[in-house]
Formats: sequence, C-alpha cells, structure tokens
Amino acid sequence: MRLIIRQIINKTFTILTGTSVVLLTSVLLVVLGPMVWRGAKAVIFQDTLEFRQMQLDLYNRGNPASLKLETAEAERFRKAVYVIVDDFEHGIDTEELIDRTKQIYRQFGKELRYKGITDKEYQRIRSLARELRDRLQTAFESNDKKVIKENINYVLQYRLDKDLADTAASEYFTLAEDFQQSIENIDLNKRQQYAGSLQQIEEIIFRLLGPKPGDPLPALTMDRYGATRWDLAENLLDKLLWSQQWIQQEADQPLVKIRVSRAEEFAGTKLEPLFGYVENNLDKMLKPKFTFYWQYFIDDSTAGHYFGGVGPEIVGTLLLTLLAMLFVFPLGLISAAYLVECASDNIAVRIIRMCINTLAGVPSIVFGLFGLAFFVLFFIPLFGGPSKPCILAASLTLAVLTLPVMIRASEEAIRSVPQTYKEASLGLGASRFRTFIKVTFPAALPGILTGMILSLSRVAGETAPVLFTGAVALGPLPKSLLDPSRTLSYGSYDMAVGDRLAMMVPHNQYGMVVTLVLLILCLNAIAIVLRAKISRKLRGH
Amino acid sequence: MPLSALENNAKTGPIRATVSLGQKTGSAIKEKNTDCKCAVIKSENFSFYYGSTIGVKDITMEIYPCSVTAIIGPSGCGKSTFLRSINRINDLIPHTRVEGRLLVNGHNVYDKNTNLVNLRQQIGMVFQKPNPFPKSIFDNVAYGPKLQGVKNSSQLHQIVESSLKAAALWGEVKDDLKKSALALSGGQQQRLCIARALATKPNIILMDEPCSALDPIATTKIEDLIDKLQSDYTIVIVTHNMQQAARVSERTAFFCLGELIEYDWTAKMFRNPGKKQTEDYVTGRFG
Repeated sequence: MRLIIRQIINKTFTILTGTSVVLLTSVLLVVLGPMVWRGAKAVIFQDTLEFRQMQLDLYNRGNPASLKLETAEAERFRKAVYVIVDDFEHGIDTEELIDRTKQIYRQFGKELRYKGITDKEYQRIRSLARELRDRLQTAFESNDKKVIKENINYVLQYRLDKDLADTAASEYFTLAEDFQQSIENIDLNKRQQYAGSLQQIEEIIFRLLGPKPGDPLPALTMDRYGATRWDLAENLLDKLLWSQQWIQQEADQPLVKIRVSRAEEFAGTKLEPLFGYVENNLDKMLKPKFTFYWQYFIDDSTAGHYFGGVGPEIVGTLLLTLLAMLFVFPLGLISAAYLVECASDNIAVRIIRMCINTLAGVPSIVFGLFGLAFFVLFFIPLFGGPSKPCILAASLTLAVLTLPVMIRASEEAIRSVPQTYKEASLGLGASRFRTFIKVTFPAALPGILTGMILSLSRVAGETAPVLFTGAVALGPLPKSLLDPSRTLSYGSYDMAVGDRLAMMVPHNQYGMVVTLVLLILCLNAIAIVLRAKISRKLRGH
Repeated sequence: MPLSALENNAKTGPIRATVSLGQKTGSAIKEKNTDCKCAVIKSENFSFYYGSTIGVKDITMEIYPCSVTAIIGPSGCGKSTFLRSINRINDLIPHTRVEGRLLVNGHNVYDKNTNLVNLRQQIGMVFQKPNPFPKSIFDNVAYGPKLQGVKNSSQLHQIVESSLKAAALWGEVKDDLKKSALALSGGQQQRLCIARALATKPNIILMDEPCSALDPIATTKIEDLIDKLQSDYTIVIVTHNMQQAARVSERTAFFCLGELIEYDWTAKMFRNPGKKQTEDYVTGRFG
C-alpha cells in the first residue's frame, strides 16, 4: 500500500516537472516564434524588380544586362497603367484643365504678337480667346450638365474660325471635345471625390512602381524605387483595390471603418479597368523572385532604414559590448577578489556589499542619465575630450550598469574555489597575491566567465543607457572612441518611435531585434564553449 | 627570519632531548641519527582561540626531529588546530587569537616579524583530502620550486623527478607528467601532494589525517612512504586511526577537549598509558 502511494507520488512528480518543461518551452516558442518569423522576413523574402534595381544602383550587385531586359519587359505592362490614369485625369482634374486653358491663352497671345496684325485686330482676337477660355473654365467648374453643354457648344461653334484654326487656340476645341466625352458617364457631383481618390491612387502607384519613366529622379533615395518587396507590393495592391472610409451608421454611434471597392467607386469611368489590370498583371510589372538576402547583416542602410541592412548596427553593438566588457572584466574581478580575499567583515564592507546588491536592481534609464551627467558632461571633457555622446561614454555607462552583476558572479565563483587549494598554495609558501593569480583565479575562471556571459547579454541588449550617451539612429561607423555609433537595440527603438518608417518596413524592425538575439546567442555560445573548455581542463580531461 | 638563521638554529637545536624520554620505556628506543639537521618544534603554553571558542589550550610539548610524532584524539579536540598553527595556515580564518609561544627551531612563529613565506617553505603540509591543483602533475610538483625562484627547466625537472621518486610516485607517472593531476587516483593524488610538499625541500612535514580519504592499499603505500621519509624529515601526523598511529609513529600525543592529556612513546601510550582518559580512548571505551 505504502509502496504504491510512493510510486504514485514519484510518477506525479515526474509528470509535473515534465509538463512544466514542455509548457515553458511552448511559451517560449509562442513568444519568440512570431518575432523570429517576422524577423526572418528581413533576410528571406520575395523581392521585386525594384529591389534588384536598387541593389544594382546602391550596392553594385546583380547583372545589369539581364536586369535591363527584365525592366524592358516589365515596362510594357506598366505603360498601360500610366495611360489609363493619364486618360482619366485629363477629363476629371478641374484644376489641371483650367491651368491648361490658361496656358493655351498665354501661348496664343504670344503667337498673335508675332503675327504682325493691327492693334485693333489683335484686341479683337485676344478678347475672343479670353471669352472662349472663360467659357471653358465655367464648363470645367460646373457640376450642371446643362451649363456644361451650353458652354462647350458655344466654344465649339468657333471651331472653324479662321483666326483660331491652326493656332495654339485650336487646342481649346480638343480640350472641349475630350471633356465632353469624358463626363458623359460621370456623376459630376462626385468629381471632387474623384480628384481626392485619384491623388491617393497616384500615390499608391508611385509607391508600387516607382517614379514614372521620363520623370526627373526624385531627390530622396527612398522615392526612387517602387515596392522592393512582394509583401509590400501586395499590401499596396490591397490599398489600391480597396479604400477605407469612416462612416457613421447611426447617430451617437462611433465611426466605423469600412472597406470600399475602388472599382465600384470608379464604376463607369475610364479608370475602372485599371484595378483589374493591376490586380492581374502586378507580378508581370514587378517580377517577384525568392531571394536570400544574407547581405542584410553586412549592408549599410540607406534612406533611413528603408533599404539595406544592419551592418553598422552590428558593428556598433559589438564594439560597445566588447568595450564595456573590457572595463567590466578587470574591475569586477578586482572588486570581487577584494571582497572575498581581503575585506574583513566590518560595517564599511557590509555597506559596500549592500550598495552593489542595490545597484544591480536600479533601472537602466537611471544609469543612462548618470552616464550623461557624469561621463558625457563631466568625465570625458575633464580629459579634454568633446562633451558629446560617444561610444567611450556609452560603454563606460554600460560597464557601470553591469558591474554589480559581474562582481556578484565573480564573488560567488572565487568563493566556491575549494579552501584546500588556497591552503595548499599558502602551505607551499606562496603569497596571497600569488595564490590568487596562480591557483584561485584559474579555478574560478569558469564561474567568472558565467558572470561575464550574464553581463554580456545584458549589455548588448540595453537601450536606455546608450540613449543619451552614445547611440545614434543614423550615421557613419565610428572612427574613434569619441564618435557615436549605431546599435541594434537603439535602432529598433528608434524605428518604433521615430516616424512612420516602422509601418512601411516592419520587417526591418523585427529583423533588427532578431539580429540582436542572434548576436547575443553567438557571443554567449563563444563564451560557453570557452567556459566548457576551461572547466574540462580543470577537471583533468 | 631568514632561512639561514633557521638552519643555524637547527644545527644547534636541542636535538638530543630524545634520550631523556627514551629511558622511560627502554624497549621502544630505536637507534637514531642524532646528527639529523631537521627542525624541532616546541610549544610553550600555547593556546589558540577561534573568537571566544577555545581551539587548543595551554599546550606545552616538544616535537623531536627526524621522527614521526602522531597526534590522536577525538573529533574537535584541537589536533588539527594545533597542527595548522605550526605553519599558521589557521591565519586564513578570521577573528583568531593566540597565547603562549610556538617555536620552530627556536623562533616563535607567531612573532610579529615572522616571514610567513620563509616559514611555510620550511614546513610542508599534506591535507586530509588530496588537494592537487587543477594543473598537470609536473606543474603541481614544480609549483613550490617556482615560487622559490627556480626558473631553469632542467633543474625544475630534476627537482620534480627526485620529489616524485621520494614520494614513490615516479614509476607510475613518469610517462605522463603533462596529464592533469585530477585524473590520478585518490592514493596517487595524496602521494603527489606529498611530492609537492617535498619539492620545496622542507625539514618539517605536517600531515593532517593524510589517509582518511584513502582505501587500505593506498594507505599502506602512504604509511610505507612516511616510514621512509622519517629519517630525513620531522613529521607530525594527525590521525583518527589508532592502528596507524601505532604503526608509523615514534611518539604519540593524546589531545582531548583542546588539552594535551598525555605525550609519550607510542609503544607506552598504547600498552601502558599513564592516564585513565588515554586508556579509555585507546581501548575504545570513549571517543
């Protein structure tokens, strides 16, 4: 009976512990999974023609000849889009039409002046032109079909006027005819709405396909290319096909967001075929292709973080981390050695110990401000350095932040070295210093390395301490210790708060975070292997 | 106190004191090498306190050179405390205090100007648990000589070889000196620790229950080794094992509750102890 109970308890214990391990693992996967999945998209994704063009232009990668062929092929499909939009725009954009009439009027005036006609004649023809212009403008601005018809007809009766034929003014008639044709199926009250919608559509097409061929190159690098990623392109396509509107269904109710099909919105107009066309031919316009963009880890980023990778961020993070370790390792070790080997148990030492334990729990932003006040504004200028954020100040701040962790871990490690080792060494006539260097320290090294791994992970991932002391979101690689640097942690923070960039390139933000995790894993792996090697040597295998 | 001074003391030290004790038992006297240059340890009203707790109290005894002296007694009686006071390893423990004098070759080790490094190089120590450093066999033995400033590689090799031979370990490890000391068996590790202690050329060896963690075969080897070493070194051995004390030592001291109860020839202590307490202990009625 008792045996059975004991077996049941044992089994329950096994099951409980097993379940908790499984549970923890799954929780970890649930937490990390989506992040890694999204981050991986920064490296493995479907690129587009625009991406390949960008890689060629900015990083000099890829085959220019085959790219040219591809571009020419894609251009054929893109052309139709521009034609449709232009066509529709002619008939709808009141302001542009009015501008056009003004231009024609001005041009016609110039032509008249060089014709060598009498002043009186000039005045007459000029006023006729003005009359036609005003009529057209009235027609373009009007929402009443009757008024439009009246005015257009008025203009068109001068079609055969000998003064106007074969001059700039003859374009009035083409304008009038085009307009008449294009408004035939349009509800004129919607014209305003169309104009707004059209602007959105043009913006989306610009984001999708890049600048129109023949247009001058935009000043911002970001605007020079269309959608570089297929998932971005699909997003934009969705925005092109569906517009979002806020409507109030009932009084006193909050606004509701609904999706409205643009094809329906533009039903019956010249723009209607655009949506089907883009939907069906998007892949031919952008030519998506799977790519493994491993250069993400070495590339510099351009246009904010819009294109490129996180190379400088990785370098900066490594620099800061290793530099901080350089300060923390000896300082932490010496402090720990003092606390274990030299300090007697008096009030002062107890206070020091308490301070160290308290410091380990201080929020990192406090250290960030301390670093700004002490290292940036006081310490470095004290030695003639510039009073600005730099990696020296940042790594010193990080070192201070992680010093308590390092001291505590080293203290434990040194304390756990068997007393008999020390006794043997001292018994052979070694001094206390020599005993520490030759016997205690090597035996404690694995434990000290554990402390270093803990510090390392903390340092590499911290954002707040470098916020004021040495991190920048954009900028070149640091040339000296007195330059600021980009870091992965600060980069992802900046993308989250900086601007709408994170919304446009979410893969980049997740990519940075995942890269940070990978980097810490790599650093830890190195330290763990090192530790394993040393402790294996100590154990005598 | 410099090394040479200690050696000078050793020459003129009270070596012939053995005779006075010898007369008491007669039968157990061995023929001794009276020219032995080994050091002598003398304790005069020596007391050792851990804070307010007494470690040993008022010990007055003389440990004779070139012989094995065993210290026996129940647990917590202060045998180890006394042994560890001789080379001041007890200094590692905070809040300790001593009274009286403890002389090695006539010099009080608790004197303010004692050079601990010189003192400890004179006194080798073997601990209860084998405690080789986590280094190679060679480095373990060479640790002491290196401290003394021996840098010459061939000289180091020579010292290592002779020490290992003296500790009867050379034959077992000579092909594998680069191997980690921790890969050796317990008995081999303890002999390595003895070799390490011998390498600094001490004249006193303190052994703190050297065989308590070893099996009988290893114990026999260590005991044979002690027997071999006693002609050249003053050996003090603390042991729980009364058979061992009887086997290896020439004289035995019995400690109880921090006090020295009896100190005499081993043969007499075990056959005909002078005090009731000693008799109870050696016959197993107490302790």
